[in-house]
Amino acid sequence: MFFLDITYNYSMPAPILATKLYLPPPRPGLVSRPHLVAHLNEGLASGRKLTLISASAGFGKTTMLSEWISLSNILHPRVAWLSLDEADSDPLRFLGYLIAALQTVQPELGQPVLAALQTPQPPPVAGLLTGLLNEIANLPKKLILILDDYHVINTRGVDDLLDFLLDHLPPQMHLVIASREDPDLPLARLRARGQLTELRTADLRFIPAEAAEFLNRVVGLNLSEAEVAALEVRTEGWIAGLQLAALSLQGQADPASFIQSFTGSHRFVLDYLMEEVLHRQPPHLQNFLLRTSSLDRMCGPLCDAVLGNPFQPSIFTLESLERANLFLVPLDDERRWYRYHHLFGELLRKRLGQSLTPGEMDELHIRTSAWYEQNDLPFDAFRHAAAANNIARAERLIGHPAIGLHFRSVALAILEWLASLPQAVLEAHPRLLVRSATLLLVAGQTTGVEAKLQAAEAILQTPEPDAQSRDLLGQVACARATLALTRYDPATMIVQARRAMELLSPENLPFRFTANWALASAYLFQGERAAALRASQAGIAISEQSGDTFSRILATSTLGQAQELENQLIAAAETYRSVLTLFGDYPQPNAEEALLGLARIHYEWDDLEAAETYAQRALHMARQYDRAIDRFILSEVFLAQLKLARGEVEAAAAMLAQTEQTARQKNFILRLPEIAAAQVLVLLKQGNAPAAADLARRFDLPLGQARALLATGAPAAALALLEPYRQQVEAKAWQDERLKALALQALARYQNGEKAPALQALGEALALAEPGGFIRLFVDEGENMRLLIADFRASMGKSPHNLLAYADKLLAAFSPPAQSAISGERSSHQKSEILSPRELEILRIIADGLTNEQVANRLYLSLYTVKAHVRNIFAKLETANRTQAVARARELGLMQ
Amino acid sequence: MADDLTPTTDPTELLIYQVRIKGHLDADWADWLGGPTLTLDEGDTLLTGPKLDQAALHGLLKKVRDAGLTLISITPTRKD
Repeated sequence: MFFLDITYNYSMPAPILATKLYLPPPRPGLVSRPHLVAHLNEGLASGRKLTLISASAGFGKTTMLSEWISLSNILHPRVAWLSLDEADSDPLRFLGYLIAALQTVQPELGQPVLAALQTPQPPPVAGLLTGLLNEIANLPKKLILILDDYHVINTRGVDDLLDFLLDHLPPQMHLVIASREDPDLPLARLRARGQLTELRTADLRFIPAEAAEFLNRVVGLNLSEAEVAALEVRTEGWIAGLQLAALSLQGQADPASFIQSFTGSHRFVLDYLMEEVLHRQPPHLQNFLLRTSSLDRMCGPLCDAVLGNPFQPSIFTLESLERANLFLVPLDDERRWYRYHHLFGELLRKRLGQSLTPGEMDELHIRTSAWYEQNDLPFDAFRHAAAANNIARAERLIGHPAIGLHFRSVALAILEWLASLPQAVLEAHPRLLVRSATLLLVAGQTTGVEAKLQAAEAILQTPEPDAQSRDLLGQVACARATLALTRYDPATMIVQARRAMELLSPENLPFRFTANWALASAYLFQGERAAALRASQAGIAISEQSGDTFSRILATSTLGQAQELENQLIAAAETYRSVLTLFGDYPQPNAEEALLGLARIHYEWDDLEAAETYAQRALHMARQYDRAIDRFILSEVFLAQLKLARGEVEAAAAMLAQTEQTARQKNFILRLPEIAAAQVLVLLKQGNAPAAADLARRFDLPLGQARALLATGAPAAALALLEPYRQQVEAKAWQDERLKALALQALARYQNGEKAPALQALGEALALAEPGGFIRLFVDEGENMRLLIADFRASMGKSPHNLLAYADKLLAAFSPPAQSAISGERSSHQKSEILSPRELEILRIIADGLTNEQVANRLYLSLYTVKAHVRNIFAKLETANRTQAVARARELGLMQ
Repeated sequence: MADDLTPTTDPTELLIYQVRIKGHLDADWADWLGGPTLTLDEGDTLLTGPKLDQAALHGLLKKVRDAGLTLISITPTRKD
């Protein structure tokens, strides 16, 4: 069922953190390393795909890259930077940041992919990447993408993504990876093909000459050659070690004896030097370094809050640390946010753990959490509350309206924390139980949800629950409605959703919306359309109140559908258009519903051009969904019907046969009746009434059966079918089916020689259809319908009547018999324009004898997309195979 | 030693590891490294412990990597 997929896998990537894209400026006091810069430039110039900087912590990887960029920025001005963190192990978040980084040099690049990533259920990563690669291939100039700290990535998904990217990387892009360990990419293959430039530990470590330059020229220590050599040997050219040694030596009264005791010691280099460096700092600075080391990023006010009562405003301390070269890394140009160099921060945290009691540590985290909360960063506040193991605080923060539970990374982090809590803690906090059930549903999981709901309910269910408990019980009901949706159980959905609406607090808009949405979906599923209409209107009101665009799109699309089913075409078109406006410039896959609705309405209004445009866009959107979603079939069936309306009967038949095959292969059995209904119309146009009757009978399609009976000259039998069907849909108040049944009944009576009842039935049908402006509903029934309407028109005389103009309009819309020849000519004339540039490109490659798979590889398209294009080419050229298509295209002069 | 490693029973269940790191590590590293016993051996530090099995080893190696420690060797031994 479709609703499920779009509603409840509701996890988008979180907003982009600009500090991760900040290209670090070269640090002052660098040792220039021209041979390494030349090596990197050479790799770039010779067109290699990948540069890998792979070495342990403290070997100056990031520094090397920023030096290279600043020295080469005339040659390569287009450099995008991305500093990774562990959360980027989620491939979709990774991709979002990758594009955000690319956009710092090429503003619109990847915008459609970014828009698709904002959807609750983004399409498969490979499809997204293909789109991105195509865009990169069209760039006028080369760009370089640097991924720093790649070792924090710990999932196969991101490695696979990069593997695919490298495999298809256009020459317009060069990738650079800096990591503490080799990434899981086919490095041996890249090396063998000469596509890899590498800098490893042996290249990065300072050679004696560099150590001398650093210690004597840059730091100005004036050491002897032997002293430099001793330090170089002791640190083994490890840059972090040499830097700490230099810091320890600055202002040292007796450098010789320091060097002697350092080089004579076996202590781990960092242990020895950190102690030296820290002890040389004034106490307030030592205190600052230790206590702020628990922050993954820091700014002056945050440090003030963490320290409680700082010696001086922290903003000054941060500036002096940066001046003293104490491993502080700026994260922006304004010198607002900083972090410690990873290795230095790690060592500080180790010391912090030893010098503070667990209670004091918790206190630091609580202060950090409080600052983040005051500054409206509830998720960061939550992380530190969780680190302090302060359950009440963490629980409260999860409920913060701005925490962003619908962001994937946020939901996953909270779920992880909830999973780490002991059962007894959960049972003492029913709110956490409900939270964890709801978040599991958000993440698309149903296992264990009911058990959590029951546990929560057992605690909350008292004779007189207070307001808070009532709201929580409402959330329990809401979760149960969602669970029922996964079982296609509309009756339970309605019961639980109503209960939720009763119990939920009036302010709890997100849950009220979900409950309402479940209610509307259940009503639509059961065919209770008036109720569905009311529920979706209520849903829109809630989403307007909460200001949440995504929920507004969902509710508005449902409203459009409900209006359409009520024959309110003008209102429905208005509603669908407002959905498209909500999407803005980059509609997402679930705009498909509104687009297809507009296609159907314009078809009904006999504007076939507009109908085709909307339907093609809808199909394009539907193909971006996950492949398990069957919505594209609706667009395909619609486009086949459009062909039928244009008299292209064989093309329509071919399209439907293909769609049916796909539906059967993928087991989309719910869609088979819709395909069959269109096939019945095709068979009737082909003059094969028995086959049409048979198909309509098999799929229990009363209207199709009636049409087949009318075609075989059995109007009485058609009437015997139509009358009970009309009564049935009238009882259910299915307005759209009622109108169709009435129109067919009028036709059947007319063919049965019952002229007066026929005119009366038609009058009823016209009265129902006129407000919505239906045209094709009548025109598609053919010549007999035209005669019936003409008789109706004649019977009305010249007396003013609101149906008079409508009947005239309908009669004008029937094409006179001679016009079919003209339209046939028109369709063949259009063939030269009908193949899109992409289809033409594919056909040309096919003409070279390549397989679909080879076409896909050459054009960076998915095999699925290529097959869809080929299918369209066949249908458009009215051919059955590749050879015929190529021959036909040559015949039409479409290609050489 | 070779006899110790003869896979008569399930070897993976019994194997634990000894990790040799370059340089002397202070005792306060033990906690940070996940609790192995630290023993100084000439210029190196040996990390050992009954809990240092395959899974613990992989976690430990990541910490060794992140602290910039130099790994000299990993030796499998049998749990007593």
